[in-house]
Amino acid sequence: MTTKQRINLHVNGKAYERDVEPRLTLADFLRHELHLGGTHVGCEHGICGVCTVLIDGRSARSCLTLAVQVDGAQVTTVEGLRNRQTGQLHPIQQAFVDAHGLQCGFCTPGFLMTTLELLGENPDPSTEEIKEALGGNLCRCTGYESILASVRLAAERMRAGG
Amino acid sequence: MAIEIPKLPEHMHSGATRFIGRDVKRVEDPALVSGTVEFIDNLDIPGMLHCAILRSPHPHARVLKVDTSAAEALEGVAAVLTGEDARRWSNPAYTAPEGWGAYCVAVDKVRFVGEPVAAVAAENRYIAEDALELIRVEYELLPPLATPQAAMAPGAPVLFEAHDSNVVQSRVYNWGEVDRLFAEADHVVSNSFRWNRVGANPTETFGCICQWDLAENSLTVHGAYQTPRFWVAARAMALNLPSNKVRIVSHPMGGSFGGKGGPRGTDISALLSRKSEGRPVKYIEDRMEYLIAGFSQSWDRHYEASLAVKADGTVTGFKVRLIDDQGAGTEGWGTISVAKPLAAFTGPYRIEAARYDTVLVATNRAPSGAYRGYGPPPHFLVLESLMDMTARKLAIDPAELRRRNYLRPEQFPYTTPAGNEYDSGNYEAVLDKLLAMADYRGLREEQSRARAAGRLIGIGVASTVEPGVFDWNAYATVGVPGIGVPEGVKLAFDVFGNLTVVVGFTLQGQGQYTVAAQIAADYWGMDFNAVKVTTAATDVTPPHFGPGGSRLGVAIAGAVLGASQKLEDLFCCVVAHVMQTQPDQVELMDGRLRLKQNPAVGMSVAEVAGLMLSRADLLPPGVEPCPEATYVWTAPNRTMPDEEGRCRSYLTAANATHLVMLEIDRETGRTDILKYFIVDDCGTRLNPGNLEGQLQGALAQGVGAALYEEYVYSDDAQPLVTTYVDYLIPTIHEIPMAKKDFVVTPSPFTPLGAKGCGEGAMHTTPAVIHCAVNDALAPLGLEIRETPASPRRLWQLLHQAK
Amino acid sequence: MKSQLEFRANSAHLLLTLTDSEFTMKPAPFDYLTPQTLGEAVALLERFDNEGEDAKIIAGGQSLMPMLAMRIARPKVLIDLRRIAGLDYIREEAGVIAIGAMASKRSAEESDLIRNSQPLFHAATSLVGHRQIRNRGSVGGSFAHSDPASEYPAVALVLDMQMKAVGPGGERLIPADEFFVTYMTTSLEASEILTEVRMPVLPAGTGWAIQEFARRNGDLALAGVALSLRIEGGVCRQVRMAAFGVNPTAVRLPAGEAALEGQAPDAAAFARAAAAAAAALEEPMSCIHAPGEYRRHLVKTLAERCLVEAAGRAR
Repeated sequence: MTTKQRINLHVNGKAYERDVEPRLTLADFLRHELHLGGTHVGCEHGICGVCTVLIDGRSARSCLTLAVQVDGAQVTTVEGLRNRQTGQLHPIQQAFVDAHGLQCGFCTPGFLMTTLELLGENPDPSTEEIKEALGGNLCRCTGYESILASVRLAAERMRAGG
Repeated sequence: MAIEIPKLPEHMHSGATRFIGRDVKRVEDPALVSGTVEFIDNLDIPGMLHCAILRSPHPHARVLKVDTSAAEALEGVAAVLTGEDARRWSNPAYTAPEGWGAYCVAVDKVRFVGEPVAAVAAENRYIAEDALELIRVEYELLPPLATPQAAMAPGAPVLFEAHDSNVVQSRVYNWGEVDRLFAEADHVVSNSFRWNRVGANPTETFGCICQWDLAENSLTVHGAYQTPRFWVAARAMALNLPSNKVRIVSHPMGGSFGGKGGPRGTDISALLSRKSEGRPVKYIEDRMEYLIAGFSQSWDRHYEASLAVKADGTVTGFKVRLIDDQGAGTEGWGTISVAKPLAAFTGPYRIEAARYDTVLVATNRAPSGAYRGYGPPPHFLVLESLMDMTARKLAIDPAELRRRNYLRPEQFPYTTPAGNEYDSGNYEAVLDKLLAMADYRGLREEQSRARAAGRLIGIGVASTVEPGVFDWNAYATVGVPGIGVPEGVKLAFDVFGNLTVVVGFTLQGQGQYTVAAQIAADYWGMDFNAVKVTTAATDVTPPHFGPGGSRLGVAIAGAVLGASQKLEDLFCCVVAHVMQTQPDQVELMDGRLRLKQNPAVGMSVAEVAGLMLSRADLLPPGVEPCPEATYVWTAPNRTMPDEEGRCRSYLTAANATHLVMLEIDRETGRTDILKYFIVDDCGTRLNPGNLEGQLQGALAQGVGAALYEEYVYSDDAQPLVTTYVDYLIPTIHEIPMAKKDFVVTPSPFTPLGAKGCGEGAMHTTPAVIHCAVNDALAPLGLEIRETPASPRRLWQLLHQAK
Repeated sequence: MKSQLEFRANSAHLLLTLTDSEFTMKPAPFDYLTPQTLGEAVALLERFDNEGEDAKIIAGGQSLMPMLAMRIARPKVLIDLRRIAGLDYIREEAGVIAIGAMASKRSAEESDLIRNSQPLFHAATSLVGHRQIRNRGSVGGSFAHSDPASEYPAVALVLDMQMKAVGPGGERLIPADEFFVTYMTTSLEASEILTEVRMPVLPAGTGWAIQEFARRNGDLALAGVALSLRIEGGVCRQVRMAAFGVNPTAVRLPAGEAALEGQAPDAAAFARAAAAAAAALEEPMSCIHAPGEYRRHLVKTLAERCLVEAAGRAR
């Protein structure tokens, strides 16, 4: 075991200070140190996109990132989507519910986070742009059609101010 | 009082249905999109250790020595498990046929790359993996058997010493006068086919937490189990525990698609807990472990098959010889996949007679397991490919050839040559709808123009039957005993009249909690969101099996309706007693128990439940203060198999016809799907949203199997696909967005007329894509008969043709 | 004992071919340092090199992390460059585009300068992995990693890019044709750090194209071609072609270039040049997805298609 290092970061707006082993992945740190279990892991070698979170507003695979690398960063996970006071779902979450954009739900947090980034940058993406953005997220249940519909619905509602 | 379960939604007597058949929002989803669902790796138990498993790098070797001393000395390591512990405390896996299983940790020898050789429990997974590197194993290498041909060769080493060969089972089924029909045929269309290994690959791998109570000598297991009760029985047998001392708490699963339950991982964690003085031990299979050794591999098949055909295209006979590579034993229940095609052997066709010649062989590949469809998908690829080859030979349009051979609506219920009974269907209506939707004639014209321009465009049309609602008798021929697959629920009203439905399975993706809630809400006239559906551990739930064999939608409907009717009868007794009348004068309507003669007089369901739990003095004599009922549903009228394996097994026969248009890039061998159409008939559609999801997902998995996915082995039985870099799950770019429609022919035999449909498109998609690929290649006189039709394979075919 | 080297040797991903470790998915222990200056970073590299300790630079980590997880890479120390200020620029310096090694691929993808002035590099960037990878992955990392399936080395050969390295002896510029040595190996010294990549602004009127073949969208290329050309006086000039994913490094395709130089830009000439380029390739690599001969054919096909595309862009 190597010397632990102190890191300071914000996750979903909340400040954390922790001592971690350098080899600890961000995914394991979020899940097992901060007990934010909504970020799932599917392959741990950077292919499936299940573990996607936002680091400083940009989507990233948390299995391909060390916790020590996000010292000082703002991390957003699926737990940060819902309204903290009311518990109301984020429009993207609600759109996935309404348009059946999930089945087992294991890959869903990754899709939600990628969609959050996409719609933040491009409120009215074309089908091709949605596919390009979601190409790095694997889903084994849905065949993607309803996911595509969910993202379109979310975009529509968010543009309308929902 | 006999329970009569309504055969159609309109037969529900307690009010108009408001949720069944409607596109309701799933009760599962708010938690799933919030990231708050307790998948197994989200659970921590105080004092918990973490398991990592040392796996064999050799496909076949004697284990001479395992030195764990350095690993045990590593700080943070609590226990190291070896084959000696497994031999002392456990038994080899129970299999069907018997005697082809191994201990959870290798004893004496390893039979596939990835087989566990030792395991560590440590303070965290990182340390556990550090410890693996300190374990020294000495092997004596044995010759690897990479193929069934090698394993059956004279003088080949025997994998399981208790047997004198590597042939697990060799059996020929004869159904009808096959030889005569082939002798009388005008044409015999024969070919060989190779289906390479593919597998389920849910995005969540297997995981569990095992805790061995040393004082009670009992085991509690939390984990991702598709069929928890089944695993309880198997764990009790493997771990020498009384079956009532094994308790499984099944957690929501990130998909399963067959077989989720990790028997070796469970047994290893359990024994590590036992060796760590009862501390809980968590094992989370990583993706590489899953790919190499997680029963992720299914259907490794070598086929030779023939159709007997009359001059007019009538198919009269079907012969299949299958050599099936089971891998290193049958602990993954891969044998069932060879037996299951009996349930729909001749597909949607009026084929008079058939022969199925099967050889199941053990090799040094990973033991094969269950995957969506569990056997028929490769079988239908063979049948549908032969239908297309027949169409080409006879110059009949492939859609027309199928139409000529379909079973007619008036033939149902229809007993197939292989013995199963199809409940209902209208195959021609499905085909007509599909051809119209796709503008089949227009597509063929488009294809002609494209061909004239030198493009390789292919169109496929394939029809299949999906055996739904499995029963064990379907697998009797490979050694699985019994008839009847129970699915039980408990309906419980509390003192305020709120309803809880307790089921024995848990979330896996199909939305079955929602289906249970829809049916209960309609029956009891309640708001859909007011029904709570929950699961309980195996030791307290009624007998159940859970999802599998396209059964749970039908089974859970039957169970909820059965329990509801029992409870309704009880409530009528109570209300009749209170109202001083007879129970048959009381009825449930729109959420109230009311007097038939005077409907304005009655009690709400909540009032009855509250009364039962708080005013025992008002209950009729002999009625317990318990507004609860349990009902266990199983498919009726299943039969014992005869000497040729014939029996009524799967209760329903849903069907589908798909049409695909695709293009092959001559230079790269890449296949692009241009258009995709589906029409299916699975009877009453209980939840259209769920069905749509199942259909999309099965289509995607079918595209994967047809064009992308493959577990490749080297000639010396080394797995060459060990990561997601090489196991190619299709992304959003590779999957077509299909146009879909449906026909509804309700099953006369099932609750509400629904048919099993969860495996769905997996039966049809690989077949239709291969038909279309071969249609594209036909002008060149080329044919691919191996899955997947990868760019490399197609390029080699095209290249060799030059 | 049979190593994983052998049973991963057929993977599309060459990163995964270099191991004899057990099956693991969590990294072995290492120390982690975050120097504040380049000088400090170079001094650390020099010190560990002298001590015979394996120290590795980490930038975005998108290629390194899977190797760490599978314990294929087992450095004693990781040196993260993220605290060193001023390494993430993208700017033009007198007709040369300079990209700081720590600039993310996403920033290169979003850069108007690159989009407008070096569209070949821009197109190559968009082909790298998926957006999550491009967000974290640095431009410099892909050069230093020297993965033969990567798009950048081929583009570097086509564009005559230069890599700026800083070491104990100061700074030097390494031309692309000397930078990439073989699989995962560059000509950077053990104590040198890649700090910048430099490429010319694409001259107006230059035709360019990059195409690759992968099993799935976003996968590592089984074969790819990048090229540029000019059409002057009705004939092709300054043809520069390179292939990736086929040999241990990206390679120029001189036979193809020679075959097209001075020829009219027509289909027959493109086909001849593509065939010549492919025929002259050193025996291509094989994997389960693509045997060598198939890769060679892919290079021919992609080269021909790229030539058509590039000629369409040339003015």
